Amino acid sequence: MRLLKPMNKKNKIIYLTGGIALFFGLFLWINKGESIDVTTISTEVGIRSEVLISKFRENEELANSMYTEKVIEISGVIKEITFLNNRTTIVLYGNDKGSYILCDMQSSQKQEVKDLKKDQNVSIKGICKGFLKDVIVLNCILINKKMDE
Amino acid sequence: MNKILALVFFLITITSFDSKSDQVIARQGQVSFFSYTSVENIEAKNNQVLSILDLSKNEIAISMLMRAFVFEKSLMHEHFNESYIESDIYPKATFEGAIVNFDPLAEKQVRIIKGILSIHGIDKEIEIKTTIENTNESYILEGDFTVEVKDFDIKIPPLLASNIAKTISIKFRFEYQPYEQ
Repeated sequence: MRLLKPMNKKNKIIYLTGGIALFFGLFLWINKGESIDVTTISTEVGIRSEVLISKFRENEELANSMYTEKVIEISGVIKEITFLNNRTTIVLYGNDKGSYILCDMQSSQKQEVKDLKKDQNVSIKGICKGFLKDVIVLNCILINKKMDE
Repeated sequence: MNKILALVFFLITITSFDSKSDQVIARQGQVSFFSYTSVENIEAKNNQVLSILDLSKNEIAISMLMRAFVFEKSLMHEHFNESYIESDIYPKATFEGAIVNFDPLAEKQVRIIKGILSIHGIDKEIEIKTTIENTNESYILEGDFTVEVKDFDIKIPPLLASNIAKTISIKFRFEYQPYEQ
């Protein structure tokens, strides 16, 4: 007794197309790039730089659960812009000299960062990675540039 | 009167010397690791590694967030944090040690750092060879070393064992600045 009927030509094409699509889908998933573009992801938390640092200093575990691996928007004042290790980093002031926010900028932001100055107010969106002595935020983009009056 | 003035001057001088820190800090140190196998090569970089160097005690402390390692492929990042390193449980790797025969005044020197490396909740005593450059009050530490995956209780599923090297190469570079405390 034959349990399976032989496939007709139409079904063969459907299965073959499905198989190829699945293979390419799997290939793309395995090889998907690292560059997460936060412009396409909505902000989960908006916060001032000094408040963010205070939260991590008060209770790091709680702050990790609130901010780490989340897309956050930070408003703050620029302490400096560094280009160490071929990366563009905007350093935002915290509430004292000891801790800052290190915002590692997406490579697409090079031109925008050129126009920025020390002590300027900015809003930056990125993915929070946690706290060492400073809060580390990666994949950052500038949201707006508020010129000091 | 002159004696009192001399005493005040002496005290001010002592206080100002005390307030000058012997520590320098690198907030954006770079640590990279490499795993080379015939199946695939995996490389990741962390550009926000913290290090404090105490020039008077010859001591060094390093701390890094495991989630801040950037991989070429996001799937590698996912496997690294969720399956191997378990970043939720062990978010940081640290190193604390001392530089043997360190001379803070030498322009360039090659030294051994002896200390404890802590990854995935496991402490291991290691020795690292480093080049130390002293340029205009800024210190640059560079070097490389290897670690064995098995030493840090990192479990690789048998199916992926051929994709990950048993010995991982690690490179580091720290550029220190005066530490504003």
